[in-house]
Amino acid sequence: MNRLVSKISRRSFLVGAMGVLAAPMVSRRAAAGSGTVTMVGWGGAYQEAVQRAVVAPFTKETGISVNVAPGPVLAKVKAMLLTGNIEWDLYTDTGAVLASGSKQGFWEKLDSSILEMKDLAVPPTSDYAINEISAVGITWDPKRCGSGRHPVNFAEFFDLKKFAGRHAMRPFPDGTLEIALLADGVAPKDMYPLDVDRAFKALDRIKPSVVWPATTPQSVSLVQAGEVDFGMTYVARAKTTNGPGGGVPLAFSFEQNVFATSGYAVVKGAPNKENAMTLIAYMLRPEVQARLEDQAGNTPTSKQATSMLSTEARNWQPDLSNPNSVMINSQYWADNMEGAARRFKEWIMA
Amino acid sequence: MPCRRLNALAALEDGSTMRAQTIFMSPATSMAAAIVLPPLLYVFYTSVSGPTGWLTSYSEIVTSGLFARTLSTTLVVAISSSIVSLFLAYIVALHLARQPGRRRAVLIVLVLLPFWTSVLVKCFAFTIILGRDGIINSTLGWIFNTKIELPLLFNRIGLLIGMTNFLVPLIVLPVLASLLAIDGAIYRAASIMGARPARIFWTVTVPMSLPGVFAGLLSAFVLALGAFVVPALLGSSQDQMLSSLVDFYNRQVLDWPKAAAISVMLFCMAVGSAAPLALWRRHKV
Repeated sequence: MNRLVSKISRRSFLVGAMGVLAAPMVSRRAAAGSGTVTMVGWGGAYQEAVQRAVVAPFTKETGISVNVAPGPVLAKVKAMLLTGNIEWDLYTDTGAVLASGSKQGFWEKLDSSILEMKDLAVPPTSDYAINEISAVGITWDPKRCGSGRHPVNFAEFFDLKKFAGRHAMRPFPDGTLEIALLADGVAPKDMYPLDVDRAFKALDRIKPSVVWPATTPQSVSLVQAGEVDFGMTYVARAKTTNGPGGGVPLAFSFEQNVFATSGYAVVKGAPNKENAMTLIAYMLRPEVQARLEDQAGNTPTSKQATSMLSTEARNWQPDLSNPNSVMINSQYWADNMEGAARRFKEWIMA
Repeated sequence: MPCRRLNALAALEDGSTMRAQTIFMSPATSMAAAIVLPPLLYVFYTSVSGPTGWLTSYSEIVTSGLFARTLSTTLVVAISSSIVSLFLAYIVALHLARQPGRRRAVLIVLVLLPFWTSVLVKCFAFTIILGRDGIINSTLGWIFNTKIELPLLFNRIGLLIGMTNFLVPLIVLPVLASLLAIDGAIYRAASIMGARPARIFWTVTVPMSLPGVFAGLLSAFVLALGAFVVPALLGSSQDQMLSSLVDFYNRQVLDWPKAAAISVMLFCMAVGSAAPLALWRRHKV
């Protein structure tokens, strides 16, 4: 008995102890049968769109019921893998985070035989699939700043002489460094690998007038409240302000954007792995993507889906082939996120 | 069992309160310990056993400029907001102590109402009050008939206003309890002896309310040390505190040993600031 105990390492003992403590939470999930799948969702209006356009019809078609857990955080995936208590089957996040998880071995290999590969503008990798693209760009209140009184590209956004005022930017390095380099005159084709020093030098220029919203909804609400003159947000967020109940309607510039990808991966050891694969395959279908983006306002990765979108959604579609815009390189960020995030945090707090 | 209970009651009546305290506190304490201690120990273990060797996360953090800067922001904000809150809360508590019972009960609810409101909601309310086009600036602009844009939001001022609003109720209650415990006869004796109100305040009221002051100050300071939401929503990026750094290491770069090390240091700061008070109280009692 003693020998057995001494064989258990401290870590595995602690992990085991945590497992025992977490047991009451697990039993609920253990009851779930083969006909379910648990996915992580972003919450808010976006998740409602996913619910209507994807989840409900998916359950109707396959009989698989979908549980939605709130808030994608890669740290939680790491904790689940560490404790062996896998609560999520399907994880969603930006391409950069999915690539980073892939690098750390967090995902199951995708079953490529059930995925429609040819139709996708961004093909799935071996362990995650991209289903939508979100354009990040400049937003402003057209009532406060009429034509000519707001920046439309990143160089103008960084030009405080021409457009003085409070600016808001996302407090994360991915995308923000690309925007800084575009503003500083780097050509989109020469973007990667990023000249990080040059990006920070460019950011230094506008730092004194930048507010860093703590949450994504704030990236539009601060502009709506007049707290910020020019914001940087996702096109879907700006589009929502023009819909019913959206508050002050904001404008969005398509003249220059950075494109962030987002998609899904199956967590390693997921209890409902097959169902999760089926759901990913479903989400890559053209008609499902068109249905989702009609409501969510992002850009489908399915080429066929683009022509299926409603007129209203098409008015808010960015031009992915715009030579002034840049697609964020997920692989670059998977390899460089940690160093860049530390430097960005030091810079932003200094 | 009945015998034990009698013992406990007897201990209480005897005045040997220490023993009674132990008996009455032990169920709550052991339950709290069972729930809090294992994860706390795990956090401690994570902090000391970094992937590159023992205690490396501590040495890397202590030598990093980011940590030094954040620590000083944390201490400055926690201390200054606690002191400002104490000043405001003391005035409120003095006023409350002088009210007749029923009126006081109503006023206490007014103090507790913001205390019961979610800090998130209060912060968003403050953005409406303090903003560039907020209530304060637009009112001042109307009075002086010119555009006024006092910078009250997303800086140290906004952060301190938010923190103070968050902390004042925590100090009002213990200070009020101390003030109400003062025997009215002492005031009468002091004024019969010819002491003026100012002298009564400094020689009677203040010293006798000190236990409440210290208890309130301590709980405010400890809560302020761990503030996360208020700096995120009302402060600038330069006003972020240690909890924001914990979040950064935990969620953004998945460096758990460093997140755990900062948490342990925060914990030690909280315990370290509580210890002198506990000793002082025991000394007094």
